[in-house]
Amino acid sequence: MRLLREFSRAVLALLLLHQAAFAQDVVRLGAVLPVTGKESKIGSAYKQATELAVKEVNDAGGVLVGGKKLKIELSLLDDTSDAAKSAQLVEQLITQTKVHAIIGGYGSQLVQAQSVVPERYGIPYISGGAGATSIYGRSKWVFGTLSPVEHLATTQMDFLQDLVSTGKLKAPLSIALITEQTEHGNDYAKGVKAYVAAHAAGWTIPVEQKFELYTADYRPLLGRVQAAKADLFMADAHLEDFISMQRTYAQMGLRNQMITYGARGADEKGRKTLGAAADYIFASGWWSDLLPYPQVKAFNARYKAATGVAPEWYHALGYETVRALLVALQKAGSLEPEKIRSALAELRLTDSILPGGVLTFTKTGQADLPFVVTQNKPGGKVDLVWPKESKTGEPVAPIPWQ
Amino acid sequence: MKGARAWMAVLAATLLLAPLLAERGTLNDLWNVAFAVVLASAWNLLGGFAGQISLGYSAFVGIGAYTTVLLADAGWNPWLTLPVAAALAVLFSVVVGLPTFRLRGPYFSIATIGVGEAVRVIASGMEFTGGSSGLRMPSADFHFLSNYYGMAVLALLTVGVMAYVRGQAFGLALSAIRQDIDAAEALGIPSTRYKLLAHALSAALVGTAGGLFAMNFQYISPGSVFDFRLSLSIVLMPIVGGIGTLVGPVLGAVLFSYLQIKLLASPTLRDSYLFIYGGLLMLVMLFEPHGMVGLWERLVQLGRRAGRPVAGAPRGG
Amino acid sequence: MERLASVLLSSVLSAGLYATMAYGLAVIYGVMRIINLAHAGLMMLAAYVTLALNTRFGLDPFLSLLVVAPLFFCFGVLLDLTLIRRLPQGGNAPSMQSLLLLFGLWLVLQNLAYVVWGGDTQAILTPYTMSSVPLLGERYGVPLLLVFGVSVLSLLGLNFMLRRSFLGRAIRAVTQNRDAALLSGVNAARISAVAFGLGTAFAAIAGTMLSTLYAFTPDFGRSFLLKAFCIIVLGGLESFTGVAIGALVLALIENLMAAYTSIPTSFQDAISFSLLVLVLVVAPTGLPALFRSFSRRAVAR
Repeated sequence: MRLLREFSRAVLALLLLHQAAFAQDVVRLGAVLPVTGKESKIGSAYKQATELAVKEVNDAGGVLVGGKKLKIELSLLDDTSDAAKSAQLVEQLITQTKVHAIIGGYGSQLVQAQSVVPERYGIPYISGGAGATSIYGRSKWVFGTLSPVEHLATTQMDFLQDLVSTGKLKAPLSIALITEQTEHGNDYAKGVKAYVAAHAAGWTIPVEQKFELYTADYRPLLGRVQAAKADLFMADAHLEDFISMQRTYAQMGLRNQMITYGARGADEKGRKTLGAAADYIFASGWWSDLLPYPQVKAFNARYKAATGVAPEWYHALGYETVRALLVALQKAGSLEPEKIRSALAELRLTDSILPGGVLTFTKTGQADLPFVVTQNKPGGKVDLVWPKESKTGEPVAPIPWQ
Repeated sequence: MKGARAWMAVLAATLLLAPLLAERGTLNDLWNVAFAVVLASAWNLLGGFAGQISLGYSAFVGIGAYTTVLLADAGWNPWLTLPVAAALAVLFSVVVGLPTFRLRGPYFSIATIGVGEAVRVIASGMEFTGGSSGLRMPSADFHFLSNYYGMAVLALLTVGVMAYVRGQAFGLALSAIRQDIDAAEALGIPSTRYKLLAHALSAALVGTAGGLFAMNFQYISPGSVFDFRLSLSIVLMPIVGGIGTLVGPVLGAVLFSYLQIKLLASPTLRDSYLFIYGGLLMLVMLFEPHGMVGLWERLVQLGRRAGRPVAGAPRGG
Repeated sequence: MERLASVLLSSVLSAGLYATMAYGLAVIYGVMRIINLAHAGLMMLAAYVTLALNTRFGLDPFLSLLVVAPLFFCFGVLLDLTLIRRLPQGGNAPSMQSLLLLFGLWLVLQNLAYVVWGGDTQAILTPYTMSSVPLLGERYGVPLLLVFGVSVLSLLGLNFMLRRSFLGRAIRAVTQNRDAALLSGVNAARISAVAFGLGTAFAAIAGTMLSTLYAFTPDFGRSFLLKAFCIIVLGGLESFTGVAIGALVLALIENLMAAYTSIPTSFQDAISFSLLVLVLVVAPTGLPALFRSFSRRAVAR
């Protein structure tokens, strides 16, 4: 019995353990990212970019807040791609680590779950990894640097419409719309459908299908696409599903005039594992290393030098999210949550590496920047084909199937 | 048993008095502990007492959570949605139980994996569940302390119900079913009806916990409440703690929620949580099928009759 | 008509792979009355080993079967000797303990893959991965055809082994009537080790073949595991011919549903899992129980 009592006392002590006192002259930032689990691929990239952005500032002596240079203390936790855990960890960072601001995760579901927490405590929150519009505008504390996924789809439609105007594609065009069963996929489909509804003369959607993340076998799904004989193949997918689906697509000998997988396509991993089957796929994104801005060229070089990795859009977004937060901190001149929040709301980051070069947040707290479109070319080359003024090569349309 | 009562007193005191002493962060952790206690203890009624290992319990969490959010969205007071959440979970438990309880042992377990996955896939494909985008609670209704007490009371209620059931004819019948279902039937125990009852009772508790989960997290999605990993940890907690015992699931729940909270914060251990879960499960199965409770009793016995070999693992708790 | 023909051909092609996947589970179940929940983990691990052989030594995935299958056979025997054997041997009914032990093993294997290969998506690219040939008016990928060929070959090989070798006959004897076989002096320990090895080897063959068709991560395999369960349940948990029938039935249902209904294909898994539950309930001994006497005769000779 005595042992029992001792043990229960130990458990109690463990549970009631308080955190030690905190140092005052640092900025404590919390971040919760999916470093393992389903979203780990891009979650890890965000982690790398976030850590690099913080390290760069610390190496330069810290961030200037109210006349004092403060070092940044980053607590980065892994939610294992689990939404409930994600929200709990954000809560833990706020209540136990006492962070001054939170850097949000990647993936709509995870960010959705996280984004209810900041309101409870009045702590500024900024995410670089969720483009679903329904996340924003509910709480004044929540910001996001990822522009709406609907507009990603709209940009692709503008791009296609332009190909029609220049005579490369012939209207009317029919679209096979295949989207993943996530908020990302739903928003993408919404964007395409809204555009088609507004331009009914030129476009039709004879087949629309949703699929589960990590579907085992795409033959049945693509069989329906084949039967529909659409002109264009427009899908929205995670990297895993993009690779699996495009493999099956090639193996089934499907041949649409144009192919896109939403934000996927230019990824190095995809091009490597698909080889020639990834050629001519076009993709839209929140960023491209091909953007012809000097700050982008500098960022590419810096990132490559520090990590050995050529940055993709998620690295850039992760990095720029931290930068936006730190610039706001500096503008706020204080670690008071309300001041940081209003500095974020009024932020105008003019030397941004993101498309358009200027990062601001709309009234809902979400950024709404232009999108880029890239197209894969044979030999592992990628060209920026949209916006027109920044393009590095001519779009090829329709795909020249042999 | 005296030991069990002492444990329960510790649990009750910790949960109920903590808000006076502890700060919000600790209370969040305790909320998790209470949630885990409900899931583990309620599962143990069917899985431990009656020996029917279900690998699909996240379905009840999900049904409870969705019921609460959908009704709250329609203007209900969230607390009033809880009985409905419990009722729908019970209904589902019967719908699933009627066919699957004809199966025995591992066949039942496999069928429950299938049911769990089917429910998740359907919830992500339906319009009214918000599909894979999930649903949010109306944001005005958040009061942490009442959520906390809600879950704490539910946890104590669950453990109390289990303690009560164990001593009743119902509990004895369940244990007869676990030991030898044919013999139990021969003795006139209507096994299917008792299994359905146990399933329903634990579903009601888990469904209510699901509703409280939604109230506390304010956002739910198939990926969070219908996830296979949730079903997995619901099974692991009572097994590691001591399946079929009263204290075991509670111990397992405390251990797991502590592990989850602390492991994730530690970068070195974070990458090995599956090693830890899987390894614990294997160790328990290989060496001590009665988990921590069994180990404890073995130690106690060793202490008592030092020098004499222990014959077989002791049961109960 | 042409459409129906191509749907049928697709179903037969998928069924080959499905059957290989399910045979691994069936062998172990038949001999040991153990439900191998680690099956998915073993398939996943085999896919990674194939990848490693491919990237390190440039070994073609199909050729690497010659390495992978024996390797996993040994691994399976080792698992039986070190883990499974320690459990109390439970007569004719499958034990919960073994189910949970192997569940634990599955989790450990997943974590192993995370540690060794990371969470990244992997895929194997060979010169013929993207090529396809026209059959009955539609194009079929070369890997899919190869996978079908290898499945048929390995299943025929297994069948030959089970019929001709002493061990094989012992395995069949234990599968058909455990008590009688053990009473007549079959060495249960040896048979169990071989059966677990064979089951693991078949999981590995399936894993390697899956790796030529799909991209994979450490979480890979759960959906296939459930499909495999569905198949052995459809086919009757004890019958080997039944597995082939079960695989064909599942593949047919999936392909017909996709071709002739408008049910979203994302519900496909939900439907096969519901089917699993339904069949478990309606015909716990599987569909072929209806043809039992027929298949008995076929198996016996």
